[in-house]
Amino acid sequence: MPPVVIRDLSDTSGYWAAIWTMCPMPDVHVICDAPVGCFNLVGTAVPDYTDAIPHIENLTPATMTEQEVGGKGTADKVKWTYENLAATGVLDNKHVIVVSTAESEMIGSDHSSLVRQLGVGTRFYYSNSLAEDEWAGRDRVLRWLWSEYGEPHAGAIATIPTAVNIIGPTYGCFNAPSELAEITRMIEGAGGTINMVYPYATTLSETPRLAAAAVNVVLYKEFGTGLANDLGKPVLYSPFGMQDSVTFVRQLGQLLGTSDKAEAFIRNEKRTTLQAVWDLWRGPQGDWFSSLDIGIVAGLSHAEGLAHYLGDELGMKVSFASARPRRAGDYDNEAIRQHIHKRAPSFIFGTMNERIYLRESGAKYTNFIPAGFPGPGVRRAVGTPYMGYRGCVYLVQEIMNRLYDGLLNFLPVDGAYANQRNATPAAPASDSNQGNLPWNSDARAILDKELEKLPYLPRISASRQLQMIIEGIARQRNAPEVTVELVELGLAQNRQG
Amino acid sequence: MADIIPLANSATSSSQPCKLHPQSMCPAFGSLRVLTRIEGSHPVMATDTGCLYGLTFVTHFYGASKSILAPQLGTAELMSGQVVEGTRAAIEVAAKEPGVRLIPVVSLCVAETAGMPEELLPRKIGDAEVVLVRVPAYAIHSHPEAKDIAVAALLNRLAEREGPVNEKSVVLLGEVFPADPLLIDAVLRRMGVTETIFLPGRSLDDFRRAGRAGALAPLHPFYKESMNVARTWGMPVVGGAPVGISGTYAWLKSLGSILGLDPVLVQQVADEEREKATALVAARPLSGKVMVTGYEGTELAYARMLVEAGAEVPYVSTSIGQDPLVLPDELWLKAHGTKEVIYRKALEEDIAAIDRYTPDLVFGTTPLASAAKERGIPAMYFTNQLASRPFFLMGGMAATIDFVASVLTKGDKYRWMQEFFAE
Repeated sequence: MPPVVIRDLSDTSGYWAAIWTMCPMPDVHVICDAPVGCFNLVGTAVPDYTDAIPHIENLTPATMTEQEVGGKGTADKVKWTYENLAATGVLDNKHVIVVSTAESEMIGSDHSSLVRQLGVGTRFYYSNSLAEDEWAGRDRVLRWLWSEYGEPHAGAIATIPTAVNIIGPTYGCFNAPSELAEITRMIEGAGGTINMVYPYATTLSETPRLAAAAVNVVLYKEFGTGLANDLGKPVLYSPFGMQDSVTFVRQLGQLLGTSDKAEAFIRNEKRTTLQAVWDLWRGPQGDWFSSLDIGIVAGLSHAEGLAHYLGDELGMKVSFASARPRRAGDYDNEAIRQHIHKRAPSFIFGTMNERIYLRESGAKYTNFIPAGFPGPGVRRAVGTPYMGYRGCVYLVQEIMNRLYDGLLNFLPVDGAYANQRNATPAAPASDSNQGNLPWNSDARAILDKELEKLPYLPRISASRQLQMIIEGIARQRNAPEVTVELVELGLAQNRQG
Repeated sequence: MADIIPLANSATSSSQPCKLHPQSMCPAFGSLRVLTRIEGSHPVMATDTGCLYGLTFVTHFYGASKSILAPQLGTAELMSGQVVEGTRAAIEVAAKEPGVRLIPVVSLCVAETAGMPEELLPRKIGDAEVVLVRVPAYAIHSHPEAKDIAVAALLNRLAEREGPVNEKSVVLLGEVFPADPLLIDAVLRRMGVTETIFLPGRSLDDFRRAGRAGALAPLHPFYKESMNVARTWGMPVVGGAPVGISGTYAWLKSLGSILGLDPVLVQQVADEEREKATALVAARPLSGKVMVTGYEGTELAYARMLVEAGAEVPYVSTSIGQDPLVLPDELWLKAHGTKEVIYRKALEEDIAAIDRYTPDLVFGTTPLASAAKERGIPAMYFTNQLASRPFFLMGGMAATIDFVASVLTKGDKYRWMQEFFAE
């Protein structure tokens, strides 16, 4: 097998999955068998930007140094950390879990026996970080939590007929607060009651209560199916788009025996929440949809959901949709980068990586809308869902406002203001010959080819803008006509500008 | 373990608390930040996926919008000795980037543990230099020190030692606010310096030119390896930094003497700078108790400036280790009222200090700043808010102390917010 080369990794490891799944539960304390970096990145540096929290408070490293890596092993450090943490009192009434990292696995640390010498109930979780990605990792850790802390104590728990669990989110799940709020609203609308939101809004001690739900809703398809299957109740996945939202509520009503309520909710949503989509469809906004092309890079749920709603239901052209984890045939980052460099679509729903590829190619006419991690963003308001009924409205609202933004940015400003700011020489207000320089045919062909690459909507204003930049350069050089060389100079200037 | 520090309990609160939560960005980030910002540099990272994800994330946010390549290193590759093979494959891909001139190979914990023999990597591919930078977090300890390792590796490989030395030129070492080099350059030219080279910056050629400079002046106190490189060349090193009133004065004089500049001119410029800075502090003195704690390695210099400006700074902590380079600042601070200077600090120590000193303002890491805000004390993330402003000479001092003065007036906002959420 030739070596695999990764470009801008999109999915993190089983270790991150373990920390981000365990630590939302306040009665957990995790000791990570980690060098300082694995502690800082997972516990502070990245969740600042994915979850907008100052840091994860219930995480402590057994900080690994040369000594431990060089042959001493990490057992003493883990024990020392445990004992000193315990002495501060922060482990009182906590479930303590020691978690392995890539580096501890690299040096063969296994603390499954050691934890028995620590406080009662302390467990070791092998995160399999050298082999598992975050999706498989989250799925496995959820199953492990159930098997260790739930199932053995769940025997006497009876099923509550209308109770529903939501499995997911954990830390590091895109748009979690809004998705969770919308799915919660829809479950309640269908006649259900929320039993547990696991692990995001519960405690580890309550894990056995997972057994009480009649239905499990998996919030992100990327992980959680394992636990949902282990629980042995019907499983639904959170929906994107109008039809799937209807189906979700309808199925939930049937499963919970609350069909009347569910059908009433469906009728009401169509008349209220979704009315905005109907209005936009009938209005001038909807006319744009079929001329928009979009690229999607996101977690599996969001990638499938956005492609289904925007593509299948609203009729936008999906240039590519690449899920994380990747499905068979999905572009990897190398292919996504090449596609964007060659021809960037008018919208990209994506991650920080796609933003870089857009900047590399100077594709400033493409609208970027965040749809996944990695990438910094504050998404703590609950009013920006992509899932469910409200997601349908929020997404078209977002798209239309970006289009309006684009138009406002590209409408001409009187050149005199630009000159005052000593801005680009592209708009010389005093020049009455603007647009009147002759172009040789090769030069024209290059400009046309460049315009062809642009999304349809901004093409008209880009055409004018590029023409002005190029003719500005031509006049600066007193050129009698626009040549290939001048076009290339102008295009380069525009990419940088 | 022999080096266990006894745990403090409430009965013996004067003893140091246990260092349970170290405070540093992943050390390797320091090197990535430096290496990704260089034009024509296309880094390859050799590490596991968790590390790669986290470091790529923060580098794409705080370093540069630059694609990062890596060999896939999972159990199979690491255990079957394919680390080098994979890394070579990633180097091949990087070599195809337009304008590539440098391919830094950043070797991290698992790759270093598995083994990354430098002789098995190419030194050059096409026109690009391939430079190995070893920064395993378990051995480097703090991210400022990883910046030093990256700079030293580049100087070792790239600096041109052939040809005449430009006696009146100086290499200034340290990531600084973009306006700082302009200010420093202008003052040094008035003293007779003919060229300043600021490292690490965007230009690879600056690393080449650095080899023929007259002196090296680290502006931050953690460029030990880079200084060693200069010493092996016989290039003199200027200690200290142009920070605050006394620091700037001493640094200008020292630099003038090492470069052999006209002493009358140097004295004149040093006096002018001192007068301007003294006048600034006289016009806008600081008052209040400030804690300066961060993980950038520059904390002592900031503390010193704030003390000169009139603030009380009882406690300073940093992620770097104790070192002769920081000793002058430590001694100066201790002679001017600072009670504690902590190296390789932990969150526990900084939080205990908040409760011990009840400061009016705290600069620190994000976990520490949030702990201070939970107590209703104004606090900010050192890295984002202090380390990202002009700092050097009178201009930098003005910008920094004006900012600190304005935050010191915000106490009631922080108290109000704390009370609101305490209910």
